[in-house]
This record gives sequence, C-alpha cells and structure tokens, in this order.
Amino acid sequence: MPQVNNWQLGRDMGYVYDAKYPARQFAFVFNINRCIACQTCTMACKSTWTFSKGQEHMWWANVESKPYGGYPQSWDAKILRMLEEANPGEQRWSEPASADNGQPYGQYDGQTIFEAAEQTLTPDSARVLGYLPPDEEWNSPNIYEDNPVGGRGVRDRLHETGEQLPIHNTWFFYLARICNHCSYPACLAACPRKAIYKRPEDGIVLIDQEQCRGYRKCVEACPYKKAMYRGNTRTTEKCIACYPRVEGTDPESDGQPMETRCMASCIGQIRMQGLVQLNDDGSWAEDRQNPLYYLVHVAKVALPLYPQLGTQPNGYYIPPRWVPRPYLRQMFGPGVDEAIERYVNPDRELLAVLQLFRRSNKIIFRYEFEEGPQVYEGTLRGRPVTLYNDTVIAFGSDGNELFRTTVEEPLHVRPEQHANSI
Amino acid sequence: MPYDEPEPDDPQVLVGVTVPGDAESAREMAAAFADEFARMGFGRRQILALFRSPRYAGAHDALARLGDVEVARVVDESLGVWGQVRLAVEDAPTAPGSAADAGPVDSGRFLKVLK
Ligand code: SF4
Ligand code: SF4
Ligand code: SF4
Repeated sequence: MPQVNNWQLGRDMGYVYDAKYPARQFAFVFNINRCIACQTCTMACKSTWTFSKGQEHMWWANVESKPYGGYPQSWDAKILRMLEEANPGEQRWSEPASADNGQPYGQYDGQTIFEAAEQTLTPDSARVLGYLPPDEEWNSPNIYEDNPVGGRGVRDRLHETGEQLPIHNTWFFYLARICNHCSYPACLAACPRKAIYKRPEDGIVLIDQEQCRGYRKCVEACPYKKAMYRGNTRTTEKCIACYPRVEGTDPESDGQPMETRCMASCIGQIRMQGLVQLNDDGSWAEDRQNPLYYLVHVAKVALPLYPQLGTQPNGYYIPPRWVPRPYLRQMFGPGVDEAIERYVNPDRELLAVLQLFRRSNKIIFRYEFEEGPQVYEGTLRGRPVTLYNDTVIAFGSDGNELFRTTVEEPLHVRPEQHANSI
Repeated sequence: MPYDEPEPDDPQVLVGVTVPGDAESAREMAAAFADEFARMGFGRRQILALFRSPRYAGAHDALARLGDVEVARVVDESLGVWGQVRLAVEDAPTAPGSAADAGPVDSGRFLKVLK
C-alpha cells in the first residue's frame, strides 16, 4: 500500500492510492458547547437536497444525542469495536504532542481502518475495514435522540410540556455531523469503479452518479457512515458540501464563496466553514489570519472527529467541557484536555475569533484583530478574567471586509421590564 | 424516542451500560450553557427560562439535578462577567446592485433591542 502523511496521527500510514491534495480544502469547525439540538441544520439539508422519493432515510446532516444516539445506530461504537478486535489492546496514542515534529496530537500507534484491512481482510476484494449497516439501523433516525414527539396518533402537535423527551440520568451532548470530506476518503478508497472523486479545487468528495452502480462498497467503508444507498436509483449518494454555494455560483452568493446550507442555518451559531490552504504533504499551510487555521493550529481548541480511524477528516469540534475526559479522548484524540482548558479560559484573541461564528453567510478567508482598552477585570469560578474593547474584522475571498464585531463599553443593564422604553 | 415502553426482544433496544455522571458534570454543564448564552447577550430571565424549558433537555436536566438555587447562582456567576459587556456587529456596506445576501445572523444588534 502506498504511504501517505496523516498529520492528525503524527505519522505516515498506508492508503489505497498515492497522496494527491487539492488546491484548497473544504473544512469546518463546530462548537459542541453551543449546540441545542434544534435540528435546523438537519432540516436545511433535507429540504434542499434529499426531499425526493427514495431519499427518505438520507440525513446527510444529522445531530446525535451522545452517547445514546447515532445515525445509523451505534456507527461509532461498531467501527471502534471492529478495530479493537483487529488489533486488541494496541489502539493507542504515544509520543507527546509536538507541533514542531508535525505531531500536534502526538503519534497514533494503533491501526487505521486501512491498515487493519490490510492485515485482516483478503487484499483487493476489501480495501477498508468496515461494515454495511442493516436496514433497521437506518430506519429510525430519532431513536434515543432528544427529539420531542407528539401523543400517539396525534399529528403535527408536540406534547405541551415536552415530557415525551427521554430523560438521561447522566451526562450527554449533541454531536452535529456531516460528511467530513476526508483527505483520505474511505469511500473513495473502497469504490471498485472509481466513481468517487475528490475535487482538485476544494477537496469536496463527490460520487459520480453516472459511474456509480450501487455496489455499496463506500457505504460499507465510510467509518462515519455518511455515504447512503438509494434503492430507487440503485446508486449511492452523499453530502455534496453544497458546492454551488462554496464555488460562489449560487445566485444568492454574488460570486463570493458562501457557507453551506447547514452552516448558514445554524440557530446555536456553533458552525464556521472555510477553505484552507495545504502544504505539499497535505498538512495545513500556515495561514495565521484564517479563522479555521487559528482555531485548529494556533489556539488548538478544535479537534478532528475520531482521528484514529485514519481518513484525516476535515470536520473539527470544540469538545463539550462537561463530558468525562476518557470519552472525549476516545472521540477527539489526546488534544482534548488542552483544548478544553483553553476554551474555558479564552485569551482575548480566541474570544474575538469566537465572535466570527455565524455573523455572515460568506466564507471568511481572513480576520484582523485590533486591540482596544481594558473594560472589565474580575474572576469567574476562581479564575481571573479580563475583557477588552477589542474589534475583530472579517474579510471575504475578494479581500473586502464582510463585517466587524466590537466589544462595547461596560453596559448599564436596564431592568428587563423596561427594556424597550426610551 | 419510541412511543411505547421498549420490548425486551426488540432488536433496536439499546444494550449497554450507562456511564455515571455526577453533580460536578451537571454543574459544569450548567456553567457551560450559562456562559455560552451570557456571552451571546442573553439576560438573567432569558437564561433561566432556558433551564426551565423541558424542551431544552440539557439545561433542564441540570436544573432537575442541581435545583433552582444552585442554577441561579451559576447563571449569576456567568452574568457577573459576560453580562458586563455587549457585542456590536457592523456589516460592511453592500455593493450597490448586488444580490441580497441572506444576511448575517445579526444577534449583536438584535440583542441590543432585547436589552
Ligand atoms: S466522511 Fe465518509 S463519505 Fe465523507 S469523505 Fe469521509 S469516508 Fe467519504
Ligand atoms: S454541506 Fe450541504 S449537502 Fe452537506 S450536509 Fe450540509 S447542507 Fe447537506
Ligand atoms: S442548527 Fe446548530 S444548534 Fe441547531 S442542531 Fe444544528 S448544529 Fe446544533
């Protein structure tokens, strides 16, 4: 198997094809601390791309109540278990993190889905360790999810008080997911017809519907289970990253790259999407003023989802700060503790960059940060906090300003009953 | 959530163990929600309303476990810091004749009105 550089794992790994990288890579950051599971993103995608006959089960964007829910059910527990069975007790990280060595999260010594396939499956017939979820695992996207239902037989009405929601007697959080437009896509690796391709201009992974014959090898291989088979066309479909918007060819976009439907509709303002520049080895080129580069490589608050699977996913998450660390380390790798520490105690630049989320639907290519005077000093839960009248300015692909956000002077808060009186 | 009580032979019933939480993780969850919404400019009444809403399961669950007094204390802590400032968002002027952008989610200005 050719060797490729997986910077998230801090080492080279085997992949089915030689490395080839796009000019820029579609990537995104989701801040889990803010997601309220309103499912607006889910419905924005559904109503745009998957509302037709045969697509009923297709939720290219979905939000799961972890650790209970998953779509298809238990997708992550299943692939993690298969990897553990392939390489018992050895799926571990080693080496301390060192950005200088190209190992921002340390080094992963376990096997990826590609390496485990080489060791345990008959080569060529199966190139990626995976499984095909049975129909029942696709049938109920809301099973174990915090989605309210109505009374039995009552349509279009929720329970008045929402008591039909499941009660969790422990911690939980909401994990929003789309296709990760991986740098080493498992779906692409597995397709015997080479019907799946990664676009050279933006790294978006697409399935050529003319070429696809519905073998479902990609459905089996994608560890995130984001390739979905459509029975009435006998082809597989997946998230297309709303590419007309990203290209700037959508009529709404004024020719400027625009964030996708699921990003733009996010009520909790948890999502930011961008296009990042790459080095020759597929790692991110230094681009200090790109907000995604800042969040992933400078502040290091955003981490890849299950990096150990080996596809080098391009979706990054700010982990939920209240969840037990072993669970989070399994999901986001060893960078979790540092990421939460920094997120809970943000410095002034991080606070400013967090203000860029969802202020514009245009893709932000660069930001500038202007320092202002101190406006507050105090403590929060025993830690010192200082706030400044800083300004963060966002720029689009043409270099023009999109918007600016400023922290204003200390506020005199009116009693709420007089909020709108003059 | 299924409409009926789960049946033991239903293949879709979750088989596993619950991972125990504790008061500390509930308090941290409450603090996370309080901080996030205070940073977004919500006032005390609005944040407490989120905790009271059974449809906002995370916050509501924290309220059930910690109680009104503790949750109010956590919210006041957050507002004591993040409530001191507010954010103003200013769009760059749109070029004349350009197609209407779906527009920024202008919570900054919206919040000024709320306050
Ligand atoms: S998430 Fe799955 S479908 Fe998407 S690019 Fe990666 S392997 Fe392919
Ligand atoms: S990027 Fe577009 S196609 Fe993909 S999940 Fe989001 S809305 Fe759907
Ligand atoms: S729209 Fe945003 S807040 Fe709502 S469920 Fe989706 S990701 Fe979460």
